[in-house]
Amino acid sequence: MSLMTMIIKMSEGLSKTCAIFFLTLLFSLPLGMIVALLRMSKIKIVSAVTRFIITILRGTPLMLQLLAVTYGPYYLFGANVARNKLIPVVIAFSINYAAYFAEIYRGGIESIPVGQYEAAEVLGYTKFQTFMRIILPQVIKRIMPSVTNEVVTLVKDTSMAFTVSYQEMFTIGKQIANSQTSFMPFLVAGAFYYIFNVIVDWVMGRIEKRLDYYR
Amino acid sequence: MAENKNNSAEKAKASSILEIRSLQKAFGGHVVLKDISLSVERGNVISIIGPSGSGKSTLLRCASFLETADGGDILYDGKYAMHDGVYASKAELNRCRTRFGLVFQNFNLFPHYSVLRNVSEPPIIHGVDKETARERAMELLKKMGLDGKENAYPFQLSGGQQQRVAIARALALNPEVLYFDEPTSALDPELTGEVLKVIKQLAEDKMTMVVVTHEMPFARAVSNHVIFMDGGVIVEEGHPEAVFGNPTQERTRQFLRNYQR
Ligand SMILES: Nc1ncnc2c1ncn2[C@@H]1O[C@H](COP(=O)(O)OP(=O)(O)OP(=O)(O)O)[C@@H](O)[C@H]1O
Ligand SMILES: [Mg+2]
Repeated sequence: MSLMTMIIKMSEGLSKTCAIFFLTLLFSLPLGMIVALLRMSKIKIVSAVTRFIITILRGTPLMLQLLAVTYGPYYLFGANVARNKLIPVVIAFSINYAAYFAEIYRGGIESIPVGQYEAAEVLGYTKFQTFMRIILPQVIKRIMPSVTNEVVTLVKDTSMAFTVSYQEMFTIGKQIANSQTSFMPFLVAGAFYYIFNVIVDWVMGRIEKRLDYYR
Repeated sequence: MAENKNNSAEKAKASSILEIRSLQKAFGGHVVLKDISLSVERGNVISIIGPSGSGKSTLLRCASFLETADGGDILYDGKYAMHDGVYASKAELNRCRTRFGLVFQNFNLFPHYSVLRNVSEPPIIHGVDKETARERAMELLKKMGLDGKENAYPFQLSGGQQQRVAIARALALNPEVLYFDEPTSALDPELTGEVLKVIKQLAEDKMTMVVVTHEMPFARAVSNHVIFMDGGVIVEEGHPEAVFGNPTQERTRQFLRNYQR
């Protein structure tokens, strides 16, 4: 198989790689905020349970979580394995990344000086207005570097979908490598991920720049 | 309104914008305010002085509901915000909140907002229309000697300028009384003058103010009532000339001696 055919075949899987990437961000970024707020809840049991779930999600391999979400329903209830594996893959990724984002959000929220809340309270901002207008914008600026890290990791982690044979770029590459007994597909995959991350870096850098107008 | 008419005690003091009776506050087992009573009449400037840890900030924070007091009464314009240690409804507390403003030692400006937005947004969230709030903010900034700074961000300003923005921000909500907690303590010495000047100007405009300060000459010159606190109680209070010129309590004398050069 020529290098060109290899690249073409693998880029057919790129749309699925992108689907995992964008859908995971779409769901995990807001879900992470909900998890962070639950984690910081004043109700002890809520924060304790959330904390426990976060440690599980961060303390076990993503690969295992992918297998659990994809095949768990079959083993537990004899349910059919999802026809479209994108659904369990995105669910597993979103939950896993939400746990990481939650901890980043929490760190960001806790780093905002208490004086910001007090000033807003005295000025008559409601709790919701204080969070949305005063706290959250400052949190976003502070956590951008950590979020960029996670997003870069996510690009590479999409390759993990091969464990459930979801036909994204890396899974296809792996299949070609097996059938052709060639290492070439892995180099192609590496190049794809690298280019993807160069773009991610550029986009995140732009966003960070836009938030640079204050300190 | 109607319920207050029956209460003669409340009516009698209706001319005070703030009245505090037997206020108590402890942190854990540590009693910080023991039995504080004071009344702030409209147009007056009250200075609170006292050594570090005497409870001055805690008093202001209780008056502005940032700290939950344990006992006593807090009344705004004759209406109970706290009655015998029990707070009024959330709605009533919000009404009281519109009556006072608070200027913090370390400004607490919103760093992601321009100077103009720092001053104009609070009125906007209270329902003032944008254009009116903007105009009023510009006017206040000018009064604070900050014209031309409206588009700057807090980090681009000196401490003195930031504090004047914070004063403008508090004034933008038209409070009836303004609290200052050591407004110049976080400033370099050469910057305290510009902030004190602004406060002095407000006093001349008959703004009602309660100022916690370590600037004794300022307290003496600007206020018409001085309170000396120590160990969670008011040790001595009165006209500044009396308290500064002829203190009756040994603790006051001792404290003031440390400020004479
Ligand atoms: N949130 C808190 N938790 C526990 N103790 C507190 C808290 N806030 C204040 N205190 C204690 O209450 C006492 C009074 O503090 P406060 O800040 O009111 O003093 P102050 O008169 O303003 O002093 P300073 O001149 O240093 O500002 C101090 O002993 C302080 O340690
Ligand atoms: Mg203090």
